Amino acid sequence: MILSPSDYKRGTLQGIESLPMSSGDWMIDRRLAALERFETLGFPDRRSEAWRYTSVEGLLKQGFTAPAKSSQRDRDDGIQNHLLEIATLGRLVFIDGQFIEEHSVYPSEGVRVTSLKTAMATGDRQVLEAVGSLSGLGDDGFAALNLAGFQDGAVIRIAPDVRLDGPMELLHLSTDRVEGHKLPTRHLILLERGSQAELIERFISEDQQSSYFNHQVVEISLAEQATLSHKRIQMESRQAYHLSDLHIALQSKAAYYGVMAAIGGCWSRTFISNRFQQPDAHCELDGLYLVDDGQLTDFHLDIDHQLANCSSRENFKGILRGAGKAVFDGLIQVGKGAQKSEAHLHNANLMLSRQAEVDTKPQLTILADDVICSHGTSVGQLDDQAIFYLRSRGLDEQRARALLCQGFLAEIIEKFEHQALIELLNRRMNFVGLTEPETNHESLG
Amino acid sequence: MLAIKNLTASVDGKEILKGVDLQVEAGELHAIMGPNGSGKSTLAHILAGRDGYSVTGGEVRYLGEDLLQLEVEERARQGLFLAMQYPVELPGVNNMSFLRESMNALRRARGEPEIDTLSFMKQVKEKARQVKLDEKLLKRSVNAGFSGGEKKRNEILQMAMLEPKLAILDETDSGLDIDALRTVADGVNRLRTAERGMLVVTHYQRLLDYIQPDKVHVLADGRIVRSGGKELALELEARGYGWLLEEAAA
Ligand SMILES: Nc1ncnc2c1ncn2[C@@H]1O[C@H](COP(=O)(O)OP(=O)(O)O)[C@@H](O)[C@H]1O
Ligand SMILES: [Mg+2]
Repeated sequence: MILSPSDYKRGTLQGIESLPMSSGDWMIDRRLAALERFETLGFPDRRSEAWRYTSVEGLLKQGFTAPAKSSQRDRDDGIQNHLLEIATLGRLVFIDGQFIEEHSVYPSEGVRVTSLKTAMATGDRQVLEAVGSLSGLGDDGFAALNLAGFQDGAVIRIAPDVRLDGPMELLHLSTDRVEGHKLPTRHLILLERGSQAELIERFISEDQQSSYFNHQVVEISLAEQATLSHKRIQMESRQAYHLSDLHIALQSKAAYYGVMAAIGGCWSRTFISNRFQQPDAHCELDGLYLVDDGQLTDFHLDIDHQLANCSSRENFKGILRGAGKAVFDGLIQVGKGAQKSEAHLHNANLMLSRQAEVDTKPQLTILADDVICSHGTSVGQLDDQAIFYLRSRGLDEQRARALLCQGFLAEIIEKFEHQALIELLNRRMNFVGLTEPETNHESLG
Repeated sequence: MLAIKNLTASVDGKEILKGVDLQVEAGELHAIMGPNGSGKSTLAHILAGRDGYSVTGGEVRYLGEDLLQLEVEERARQGLFLAMQYPVELPGVNNMSFLRESMNALRRARGEPEIDTLSFMKQVKEKARQVKLDEKLLKRSVNAGFSGGEKKRNEILQMAMLEPKLAILDETDSGLDIDALRTVADGVNRLRTAERGMLVVTHYQRLLDYIQPDKVHVLADGRIVRSGGKELALELEARGYGWLLEEAAA
């Protein structure tokens, strides 16, 4: 049964009631305005271009109407198992969508970190006012619902000219307690003038069977000459639903380097919008996805060049297996005033089976005349000649295929830079297992 | 070591090999020459086990075994190596790791332990220097973006590292300048031992200025139409292939 928007409204209102109230009427008003917007918009369906290839029916059938309750768990539980061997400057841990102070470590100087729940409790107006400044009330029903009902999140502010010499981590861990619930969170990442930071974000599930809806909106604002390297790995439970909206705004000479991996979840969508607010800014997005039976992964990019001298480069690659499905919809718009823009968009797909399906739609609309732009897409299979070459050097066929799959994604995997992340990805993607003969499906020879 | 008897093969129903007979003993180096399209690469590929060819008759014995029954990788593990005419580019597959993995696959098959990092590094650097392959290319993806000459040097490097029992080189000399040609020839000469067989496919005589073959065969229209010593290569250089084809047709 598909629940009605009013069921979601009710669940969201319940969630709002559970929140600390000292933020006063002002924040509540904003939430109610967003809720109203949700009622106007409703959930998107395939009639809207942005959702043409990605059905939300399965998600809505699950009825994730209410947010998960505050985690009651013993907080000393096994978080250690999920930590990486990376020397981080700080770590913010969210369990079941709630910020967990006890597991979080803050960097010492030049960084201010607050949880949104704390900001709400203390009525930190400066922080709260920034919420939604890039996303607005929401372009679709999901986004509006998130603003109305978000439960927690992180606010990270890097002070002017502070250059952090190590990464900070945002870890999102879900337990089996979130079964049947949504986890609406938001983050605000603000880099002030001349600052530099690296953020590693991971989404993991303790229980590979649990079904929940992780719904996150991230607003990233880079002031003049700020640089952010943002690494994001989504490896939720295979029954989980994941929706991320990233809104990036860049001022003059700012640079955003994002690299995303979507491996888990049964349904996963990442929407990335990039706005050049001033000339001379740079945005790079790399991404990889791996889909198998029962998985859908969607990447949606909206790169808007309206000002001169900005550059962007987007490169997304995916491997599809079994009856897996992927959607890539990348839009670059270069406006009239955006002379001397450079924009390149590419999407490549490696199909390991005949049942797999990809809808790829790179789009480039250019109104300025003095620009360098390109876009392209490819859908292919493993190359027989390459397999022969590897086997002729003594590697067995499965290993040859695994190496080629890994090689296909290598240029993206490299962008994760840290050995621990690269190993994590390689292990999780299990390239050898990937090339095992499929039992229920006819695989390509 | 290698005995090919009356081998016939076709591609897409078109007969390419029309009865090839060839015998290579350990310690021997044979050159196969012939005009373009005569089936030289087809023969080399069939020996290495590449898909897409149907062997319609004859047999190939390698070290006493029925070669055509073996999987591609089993042939490699039993010491057969093919330096390809068109080495394949493998983006994202690191050249050095691949070489090491390949070496270890062969060592495992021989019941030997895997090579340790230090010995491997020492060997690969030394041999890369011998074949004049820029060390930087070891760290790159296999053949990706390599020039024609670099690809061929990389094949010779693999051959030197894998130390095959039977090495087949398919036009490794094609498209090379004289310096690269000498490097390839040196690579081949360095590997000549009493135990190793070599089959060098070449379109031009000039490689044989640097490599002394024990026998020269001419493959034309799917058959070996003439075999002889080194002097046959010189005669081909002087007279071309035409006269042989006419004689064969007569
Ligand atoms: N994969 C293939 N499909 C169709 N024809 C092929 C294929 N490979 C080779 N041939 C044909 O077989 C013949 C011999 O080719 P090849 O063995 O490459 O010759 P050589 O190496 O002596 O130049 C040529 O006529 C060529 O066109
Ligand atoms: Mg050839």
